[in-house]
Amino acid sequence: MKEKYYKIAVFRFDPLKDTAHRFDHYTVPASKANTVLDALIYIRDYIDGTLAFRASCRQGRCGSCAMHINGRYGLACEVRLVPGQNRVRPLGQMPIIKDLMVDMERFWEKYEAIKPYLVRRSNEAAQTYANRRKIEKTVDCILCGACFSACMMTGMNSGFHGPAAFVVMNRFLLDERDALRDQRLEIVKGENGVFRCHSMYNCNEACPKNIKPAENILEIKKNID
Amino acid sequence: MREYDVIIVGAGMAGLRAAVGTVKRGLKVAVITKVHPLRSHSVAASGGINAVLPQNGEAHQPSDSIEQHYRDTLECGYNLSEPEAVEILVSRAPGMIREMERWGCLFSREKDDRIAVRNMGGATFPRTVYASDKTGHAMMNTLYEQCVRLRQNKPDQLRFFEEWFVTKLLVLNNTVAGVVALEIATGKMEIFSAKSVIWATGGSGRIYGSTSNPLTNSGWGLAVPLYAGAALMDIEFVQFHPTQLSGTHILITEAARGEGAVLLNLKGERFLGSYEDSKRNMELSSRDIVSRNIRREILAGRGVNATCVHLDMQGIGSRNIKKRLPGVRELCKTYANLDPVRQLIPVTPGQHYTIGGIHTNEKAETGINGFFAAGECACAGIHGANRMGGNSLLETLVFGEIASSGVAEYISQKHGRIPNKQYFENAFEDEKNKICALLERNGKTRPAEIRDRMQAAMDEFAGIYRDGMGLVEAGKIIKELKNTYRDDLGVDGKELRVNYGLIDAIELRGSLDIADIIIQAALKRNESIGVHFRNDFPSRKSRPRHSLVRLQKGKIRIHYLPVRDKKNLFDLLPSVWKTKK
Repeated sequence: MKEKYYKIAVFRFDPLKDTAHRFDHYTVPASKANTVLDALIYIRDYIDGTLAFRASCRQGRCGSCAMHINGRYGLACEVRLVPGQNRVRPLGQMPIIKDLMVDMERFWEKYEAIKPYLVRRSNEAAQTYANRRKIEKTVDCILCGACFSACMMTGMNSGFHGPAAFVVMNRFLLDERDALRDQRLEIVKGENGVFRCHSMYNCNEACPKNIKPAENILEIKKNID
Repeated sequence: MREYDVIIVGAGMAGLRAAVGTVKRGLKVAVITKVHPLRSHSVAASGGINAVLPQNGEAHQPSDSIEQHYRDTLECGYNLSEPEAVEILVSRAPGMIREMERWGCLFSREKDDRIAVRNMGGATFPRTVYASDKTGHAMMNTLYEQCVRLRQNKPDQLRFFEEWFVTKLLVLNNTVAGVVALEIATGKMEIFSAKSVIWATGGSGRIYGSTSNPLTNSGWGLAVPLYAGAALMDIEFVQFHPTQLSGTHILITEAARGEGAVLLNLKGERFLGSYEDSKRNMELSSRDIVSRNIRREILAGRGVNATCVHLDMQGIGSRNIKKRLPGVRELCKTYANLDPVRQLIPVTPGQHYTIGGIHTNEKAETGINGFFAAGECACAGIHGANRMGGNSLLETLVFGEIASSGVAEYISQKHGRIPNKQYFENAFEDEKNKICALLERNGKTRPAEIRDRMQAAMDEFAGIYRDGMGLVEAGKIIKELKNTYRDDLGVDGKELRVNYGLIDAIELRGSLDIADIIIQAALKRNESIGVHFRNDFPSRKSRPRHSLVRLQKGKIRIHYLPVRDKKNLFDLLPSVWKTKK
């Protein structure tokens, strides 16, 4: 049976004005919305222009609209509305700017801390077919923050790099051209490094791109004596 | 007030490449962007980037040449391209790929380790370099990584202002002075003064409803320089991509057809063979032709559900789909519940690329001193009347770099005078009052209502097929909508802080103006050429000419420029560039 309307409860909180968060309930015509993001856009366009959330590409490529939807993390533009009640709240572990928009500064800090760039050992060495295939599994990451948010360790320890940063690190560790291998391993050896990960696999569960950050973390661990 | 040598507005591929280029030249750079750089729409580019690569001393395809790339580009653009700009584009292409590769970009490779290339529409030989079907994502990450590296090494030289929204370009005595921007998270407005500004804001697809462009590409990126005195060139040329997933805004990359996918009508026939202009190259004909013929087929009653046609990828084979087009498969599964390995994909043409833009020359210079533009927002006349697939990513890199060197030269010649403090204070007050006045608007019409009606009018009257009556009608609708915007607009939030409703309202003004200009320019061009097809003027005029639009006292003024003649260009080139006989 085709729904005529979808119901959606949306997390609202303005830290400068509100003392507590609330969920606002909206009804969105099914003809106007297929995905959760469609519904949020409809609400901002036609019901309440003050609703704050990030969105851009609408096709699961830019990573703007990661949030907690109907009990799990995902990209609002990729998750379809379900009959009955839908419920969205912002990414966790990060301060809320307003409503569904969080301050991702810590996430990007951790990304930058692992030196996310190639420094080549030799000027001439080109990438090879075999090496690229090895790296392939890491490159789909769109840095949306879902894994960071789902991870228990990033919640308990503000110094922990978090799954996404380790995926990016593994991308460079796997690259045969990379000259910073030792430096990188030094970064992840410490107490906020990979061994802080207790393999709870929340990140694998949360990743909308099926990257499996936990496996990447295991791989990094194997590099350390 | 913040002071910089260069301000780059927009952090997609052109903006980031310009950031790298200007920082490396020792300049102090601020990049201002509405979204985090890695959220820019360049990440969604899938197909690839064109370059004739000499590998191991040989071109990838032995008979291909840079000259051929040049010819293909001109031919695809119906000779409305500026030869000089195209020459620069194609001859710098191999260097750009090598540079990206050095920076770590993971292009797809052949088993013998050479960089792999694929077919795209309009190309005589396969020469499109790619990273599966996520080329934009791979290149954007690499460029951003280089920016992070530069910032870690030279923290004083590069700063990103993420989620800052530029509302005004400051120009005094035809010389750029800076920008006014609003920080979305705090609502703080600030003046950025600069000796030079590089504009890299991307496309304007959201003027149309049926677009694969992101929410951010509203047209504001073209409107701001236009208000500051810049001219727009060839703005009536709007490219429709043939294969957008029906009923959505999802693009199925041209690479799918490059790898062997075919288009089928209701009866399961490869209908492109029955049209004169697509008979020869079938699915790999240029985009304007394929889009037009899909629309024709649907109008003739041979469409699927009367709305679309089918894209059949089954011939590519499950292994190749998984390896070379995994993104297409993911998109089909997520948004249409189908697996292209076994099922047909319903597709229909949708707005894709803004060929026109801020008028620049082959040095990325605009008519305003110190003001440069690069990427989709700019128009150096590269794409002519129809863009060839794989040339847009190339343009962002090449012209991002050219703008960087242009800026460095401009600043070194001490052209960059900075106006006095009073000027900036006045400009700031003026702009802030304008924005705050919008917050007071309590009319009954929501910005989205106006936008939806504008998009519907543009889809219907200014799309793949156009005619005089329809364009006049569209012009009337836009005029009405402009009046509604002026007299009856309502904005929900009443503060500057985190107010996306306000930003929508600001941008909508630009959308309406750009829509109006597209309609006027399309109406005035009494011919059919490339993506601009007029039912009432089906043939093209003998002499190709560019349209140039300016605002004068708020009125749209259209002029025409001849295409520069440079026919024997390649006689001047070094012989290694020419086809090996």
